[in-house]
Amino acid sequence: MSTATHRTTPSTPGAEEPLLRVQDLSVVYEPVGAPATRAVREVSFEVGRGEFVGLVGESGSGKSTLGFALTALSKPPARIESGSILFGDVDIASMSAEELRTQRQGGFAMVLQAGMNTLSPVRTIRKHFHDIFAAHRHVAPGDRDDRAAELVGRVSLGPEVLDRYPFELSGGMRQRVTIALALSLEPQLMVFDEPTTALDVLVQHAVMDTIRELQAQEGFTAILISHDLGVVLESAHRVMVMHDGRVVEDAPSEDILRRPQHEYTRMLLSHFADPRAEHVALPGLEAPVAGTATSAPSASSSPAAGGGLELRVQGVSKSFGAPRRGAQPVLAVDDVSFTLAAGGATALVGQSGSGKSTLAKLITGVEKPTAGTIHVGDAEVGSLRRKELRDLRRSVQMVFQDPYAALNPLSTVEYTLTRALTNLTDLRGNALRKRLHELLETVGLTPAAQFAAKLPHQLSGGQRQRVVIARALAADPQVIIADEPVSMLDVSLRAGVLALLRDLRERTGMSLLYITHDLLSARLITDDILVLHDGRVVESGPTAEVMRHPQDEYTIRLLDAIPDPARVHGARPDRGDLP
Amino acid sequence: MRYMLQRAGWFLLTLWAAITLNFLLPRMMPGSPADAALAKLAQNGPVTEQTRKAVEAQLGVPDGNLLQQYLDYLHQVVTLDFGVSYAFYPEPVTGLVLQALPYTLILVGLVTIAAFVIGTLLGVLAAWKRGTWMDALPAVGGSFLGTFPYFWTALLLLFFLGYVGHLFPTFGAYSATTVPGFSWAFIEDALYHAALPATTMLVTSLGGWIIGMRNAMITTLGEDHVTFAEANGIPGRTVALKYAARNAILPNLTGFGMALGGVVGGSVLVEQVFGYPGIGFLLFNAVTGQDYPLMQAIFLMITVSVLVANLLVDIMYGILDPRTRR
Repeated sequence: MSTATHRTTPSTPGAEEPLLRVQDLSVVYEPVGAPATRAVREVSFEVGRGEFVGLVGESGSGKSTLGFALTALSKPPARIESGSILFGDVDIASMSAEELRTQRQGGFAMVLQAGMNTLSPVRTIRKHFHDIFAAHRHVAPGDRDDRAAELVGRVSLGPEVLDRYPFELSGGMRQRVTIALALSLEPQLMVFDEPTTALDVLVQHAVMDTIRELQAQEGFTAILISHDLGVVLESAHRVMVMHDGRVVEDAPSEDILRRPQHEYTRMLLSHFADPRAEHVALPGLEAPVAGTATSAPSASSSPAAGGGLELRVQGVSKSFGAPRRGAQPVLAVDDVSFTLAAGGATALVGQSGSGKSTLAKLITGVEKPTAGTIHVGDAEVGSLRRKELRDLRRSVQMVFQDPYAALNPLSTVEYTLTRALTNLTDLRGNALRKRLHELLETVGLTPAAQFAAKLPHQLSGGQRQRVVIARALAADPQVIIADEPVSMLDVSLRAGVLALLRDLRERTGMSLLYITHDLLSARLITDDILVLHDGRVVESGPTAEVMRHPQDEYTIRLLDAIPDPARVHGARPDRGDLP
Repeated sequence: MRYMLQRAGWFLLTLWAAITLNFLLPRMMPGSPADAALAKLAQNGPVTEQTRKAVEAQLGVPDGNLLQQYLDYLHQVVTLDFGVSYAFYPEPVTGLVLQALPYTLILVGLVTIAAFVIGTLLGVLAAWKRGTWMDALPAVGGSFLGTFPYFWTALLLLFFLGYVGHLFPTFGAYSATTVPGFSWAFIEDALYHAALPATTMLVTSLGGWIIGMRNAMITTLGEDHVTFAEANGIPGRTVALKYAARNAILPNLTGFGMALGGVVGGSVLVEQVFGYPGIGFLLFNAVTGQDYPLMQAIFLMITVSVLVANLLVDIMYGILDPRTRR
């Protein structure tokens, strides 16, 4: 199957003069009082008219810096050090501010990462459109409202959003508005910088569909910057892989998928797998095979001291008071029952708002259920007093999503762990020190003495998450609740942390409740799965079984939302081809 | 609308609490104003029981139970009758306050508003032109001047521009020869007299506003919506004012509200140094003369105006920040 048959663009890339020619571009960061770093190093490439190019890399690879340079948005401390960016026949890198400003209409537009902040919180959507129209005067004043309505229609929104403020819209709607605003410039080039990263899985999927459709209809040239190889491979015709400020590979998507040349590309690909496949494996981590789903590991190996506790959730509901008078109370968790066997691993999946985090709060006793009971071992969480709750916290520990926020930036690793140990155990002095080093070794931070002295900012995201896990392990917990522990980490670090969680479970026999929206990681480290939707369990069963043969419509939608490059580039790649 | 009503409700509740506290606090203090007055009289010789009764009657020392007193007090508050001043006997307190209020409102009020407006604009400019002289001059200059104590700046100005230079009058709100009233001559004279105190307060308070706004603005300039507006080719001036400053000013409004509320209290030091007959001057005299009715009235007025200023800021917030209207 040739690549060309899949192209939906009106023009054939490369057949005419390229739209964008980047030559030996270097961008340097020169912060005051800190050594300069070169984020983009001598990058050269061309992008043809109507092409859809992906730019992939992990955090720190320089991909966003490059995107900002391409749209002439580099701000101090970032500075274009050398090289040129030819857009048509003008060099963006050496243009005056006012020339640049006028170039933006009918030139290049940028869609920033989805978030609360891409729109001014105090301006209505209509005002945002009017500001752009007034700045470039490319739409006559009488036609501006109609044009704005037409543009939001283009991204599947109704004209009523024009009179809303950004905070009145959902994350997905805000990102659609952002795209419509960029589109209102009638740009030849659109750069999308992680356009769906902060969005929910299903919304992410829908917004990406919109971007692809728009690109096909409008024929603009698109550059999609993302850390997610799956999303990029599914959308782009051509993919550039960035590593350490350099483009290490630049090839058609299909070649990247099937014949990756650079080892970094291969590494990224190796961390990409389809949870629906029969065999799922990441480097150093293999999922239990479907049908032979393992039970608690205690069956095979004798668990170390502590072991796991059984977690029994029976008919639990939690409703929160109505947010406003007259509104309905919110039923965050609706009649959920499940049992996590001692030493077992259960995944709780669903998009945000599905009630999975509320369930975690109920289990740890932070919130009390409106109905139903939760047992950890023999203790019933809802009936515990303050002191007993303290004991419960010793046996049930949480690992949080954001390793950057979960550690005090001013405390060394040693201090963080010492606090946890003195609070939760009777260890003091040398015994405490010994245990602290043991913990660091357990989570793979060796040599322990060296890591103990570090501050959080001196650690990578993966290392920080390991410290968070070590802190959770301080009291020898029997149940670990991990709430999206790898979603903030680079793909190459995820497998390591996931493998750590799995190994810990096997070694200590503790039970693991794994909360996530990421089905792949659930497939890799859990035996059973519960799919939550609007507070209800819509499907449950052995993880491999549910992924291979989903029954519920919502589970199927979640699985379908996973980017599938194979859908675009022919048959699914045989894993044997990949290193 | 709901938001406004809610704010107004809270305002009334705090107002009532403040008025009640103002009633209770003096009653919890040991001794009575009559004791203080009698102690003064006792310096000239023994005081008879009749004198004591007469003084108490004259000062209106309250009788009846606490509830009755409270109701009387509320009635007084509503009718703005705060009794007779001791220090300026037998002037009624209300009259004294009303006489001083316009001077303070115009001097301190206008200066506070001017300092806020000028300081905020300079702060916006400093942040927008970050790293240039337009940033360095107001930021460094403002904080340098802001570190000067009020009264010291006042003394310097008074000495050089008043006594040495004879450029400005050194005392009072108007010349002895002008008659207060709505005449051009009087207004001109009053402005002339207000120049030095106004300059003092402006110079010392400007720095705070500049730096507050500059810092808030720099944070806002780093936000995505500003970058996105630039990416859309919106002109710099629009981005600076409608996007960045419009958002950055919100936290500063709270500070402005508090400053406005404090206006009524006058500026004790400045008014004292310049002999300016405003509320601050009056308050100083009330305190030194142990003039309880006057003090109580001024304190109540300060409390109420702080509350009113806060209500105004809340309402402004409601208009400027759609997120608070929920």
